[in-house]
Amino acid sequence: MSYETNDLVTEESSLSERVAAAVVGLNVLSVVMGFAAVFQWTEVESEFFGVSLFNLYGLALVATGLAVIALGVVSRAGLVDTTPDRSAGLLTGGLFGLIGVVTGGLFASQTLGFGVFGWLPIALLFGVGFGVVTVLPREDIGSTLPAGALSIVVGALFLLNVVTTEWEWEPEGFSAAFTGPVVGPVLTIFAGLVCAWAAAKAHEGFGTRGRQAGAYLLVGLNAFGMLGVLLLLILFVAGKGWSRMVEGVKFGLFSEPAFWFQMPGLDQYVVFEIPGVWFYWPFTMNGYSLSKDVMNGVLPSIVGTVWLVIGAVLFAVPLGVGAAVFLTEYAEQGGFTRAVEIATNGLWSTPSIVYGLFGYAFLVPRLGNTTSLLAGQLVLGFMLLPLVLITSREAIKTVPKEYRDASAALGVSQWETIKSVVLPAAMPGVITGVILGVGRIAGETAPILLVATGNLQASRGPQVLTNFHFTSSPPFVANPALLDSISALPYKLYATITAGVVSSDPAFGWATALVLLIVVLSFYAVGIVSRIYFRRKLEQ
Amino acid sequence: MSNAEFKQSEQASEQATDEQSASQSMTVSGESQEQLKDEWTDYQFDGAPKISVEDLDVFYGDDHAIQSVSMDIPKNSVTALIGPSGCGKSTFLRCLNRMNDRINSARVDGSVEIDGEEIYQDGVNLVELRKRVGMVFQAPNPFPKSIRDNIAYGPRKHGDINDGLLDKLLGRAEPEKEDEIVERSLKQAAIWDEVKDRLDDNALGLSGGQQQRLCIGRCLAVDPEVILMDEPASALDPIATAKIEDLIEELSEDYTVVVVTHNMQQAARISDQTAVFLTGGDLVEYGETDQIFENPNSQRVEDYITGKFG
Repeated sequence: MSYETNDLVTEESSLSERVAAAVVGLNVLSVVMGFAAVFQWTEVESEFFGVSLFNLYGLALVATGLAVIALGVVSRAGLVDTTPDRSAGLLTGGLFGLIGVVTGGLFASQTLGFGVFGWLPIALLFGVGFGVVTVLPREDIGSTLPAGALSIVVGALFLLNVVTTEWEWEPEGFSAAFTGPVVGPVLTIFAGLVCAWAAAKAHEGFGTRGRQAGAYLLVGLNAFGMLGVLLLLILFVAGKGWSRMVEGVKFGLFSEPAFWFQMPGLDQYVVFEIPGVWFYWPFTMNGYSLSKDVMNGVLPSIVGTVWLVIGAVLFAVPLGVGAAVFLTEYAEQGGFTRAVEIATNGLWSTPSIVYGLFGYAFLVPRLGNTTSLLAGQLVLGFMLLPLVLITSREAIKTVPKEYRDASAALGVSQWETIKSVVLPAAMPGVITGVILGVGRIAGETAPILLVATGNLQASRGPQVLTNFHFTSSPPFVANPALLDSISALPYKLYATITAGVVSSDPAFGWATALVLLIVVLSFYAVGIVSRIYFRRKLEQ
Repeated sequence: MSNAEFKQSEQASEQATDEQSASQSMTVSGESQEQLKDEWTDYQFDGAPKISVEDLDVFYGDDHAIQSVSMDIPKNSVTALIGPSGCGKSTFLRCLNRMNDRINSARVDGSVEIDGEEIYQDGVNLVELRKRVGMVFQAPNPFPKSIRDNIAYGPRKHGDINDGLLDKLLGRAEPEKEDEIVERSLKQAAIWDEVKDRLDDNALGLSGGQQQRLCIGRCLAVDPEVILMDEPASALDPIATAKIEDLIEELSEDYTVVVVTHNMQQAARISDQTAVFLTGGDLVEYGETDQIFENPNSQRVEDYITGKFG
């Protein structure tokens, strides 16, 4: 008995604490194993040391359930010193009651086969029972007994081979079937979390410290779970698309000094080279090709997406920041600025297809009556505007008033102050907004489908820089590339997976998705580097 | 004013300000109270005033923050404004370079003259006014720029230093002039020796006291005639405060300094004349610092200075 409530310092952990820690560890492990099975990192049929995965789940859950109940009983009997409250609380009671209703209802309707008049009372009875067991006894029993019981019941389902990998359940009124490979791990994750929570409480001796530990565990696991899901998403795409994306990558050294290295049978522009080294990556350096010898690539789509984003940013950032400066620095704060704020928030949540429709009906007829890069840039710019405006306003608002006062007291005009003091100080925040916005527009499919794309089988991307030329009559500059339809990565992906226009090659779609992901992340990287640059300028 | 009159007026004020006695005796009319106030705030000195304030009223919406204040501030001296929180002394200070224009709800009535020129009239050039009447704030507020850029900011914006990209391209940049202004200002602000080797470091890396002296230097760089200081040392430790106080005394040889402070010992140490504002934006007494602290006319001022009130 090392946990003395009267001692400030407890020196060594008691047996019960060690048991509780072990239970937490075992449960977290089962949760992780559950996730691994849900996301198919491990096969559900796999066996470990001759025991099937589901039986392992069952063993772990039954063992931890028993241990958790034992921890509660030992505490209630006064064999270890703990500081439980009089009750586990109504919130906990309500949640366990809900679990009871579900458990009881499923048991009565599915296992016993009762109709609605049979299972409903049983479900309610279970719910009330669980709730009462949670709320009425002292906290140490109230939070461990229901959690342990749930864990044991779920474990028993696995151990008695009720739920196996072949198990399937098609409830009436559902068009979906619940299958063992999904239900098993999900049940394990759920029961494991509940049991781990109870064990964490027991580890700290219940009471305030116990609730703190339980909440900490759940919040922490939740955070890691979310990060895990996001990471998984990226790994999933990468896993499917990687091999196709890097197929045929070659690099080598020059044998002769030459400015252009010519790959046999290829145009020179597909060869990227730095003096002395050549590098060839067919998937991202080739366009569409009819030839069997040359691999299809997505270069035109990459170039199209990059130009779309550059155009949208060049269009939206000056306008958005300008409007933000006016609204924060010049306009009188009141009804008008509040109305603008609400309106911009609303614009930001406007569905992208509506923007696309506007561009299709308004911009396209006025820009040569064909889908074009310029129309796409403008529509994406419109979409980006509200976010740039909102974030710039927030960033400008956070610039301390003292800077403006100091500048005004030196006799510097308001515009000079904004230009030299306010905007530099707000720059990191503005860039954060642009990064977020670019993340949205770079992957946008619906609007560009209507206004910009159409050139799916392009062999080369829009040549915006080389097509720029001067003319002898007004407007004296021309750039036909801006008014041509283009291809873009999200569009290419969409076309590939829906219609199989380019090829019936699903790996091509996955590889395109991976390239899109990389392109968007590269825009992020550019944004983050520039944000660091501006922030450092303020600090050094 | 003779001594006997002092005595009388003091009694009168006691009665007038004490609500109970005021209700009992009706000996002092409102008119004579006004007169007394005028006498107590009528500080005489040689030479023309640098700043002359006449019947100044300030309103924040319906709130009457400054009530008909008149005072003349002599040239090349330190004038302290003291009084309890919320008595309007900072508001008064901000009227002297029209910083109150920046507050939408503020309305200013009355007259403020700098060297005999009215600053509350149409056609006043705020840029020129604020160049002449500089200001240092309560909390040090250097820009998040290098020390050099902080000092050179004002002169650059006023075109005193050519430093733009165009100037650099055309070879018209004046780095020597900039160096000269930076060095002069920092020396005047008594911080040159501490920062001369790191002029290109960010000003936010300096300590609070150094930042405040840098702000004083920034204010000096545009060559003001008057420096307004709004509790310049209240956010600083005693050593940094002492440095700022020494600096203020030095500056008063060449500049007219008006300083707001909560700290009465500080006012007594550094100022040549002191104005006492009491609640409601009332200038109660204004005179030589020694007289205000040793022999105030008003009972309320004496109570405030001795700590019985405020």
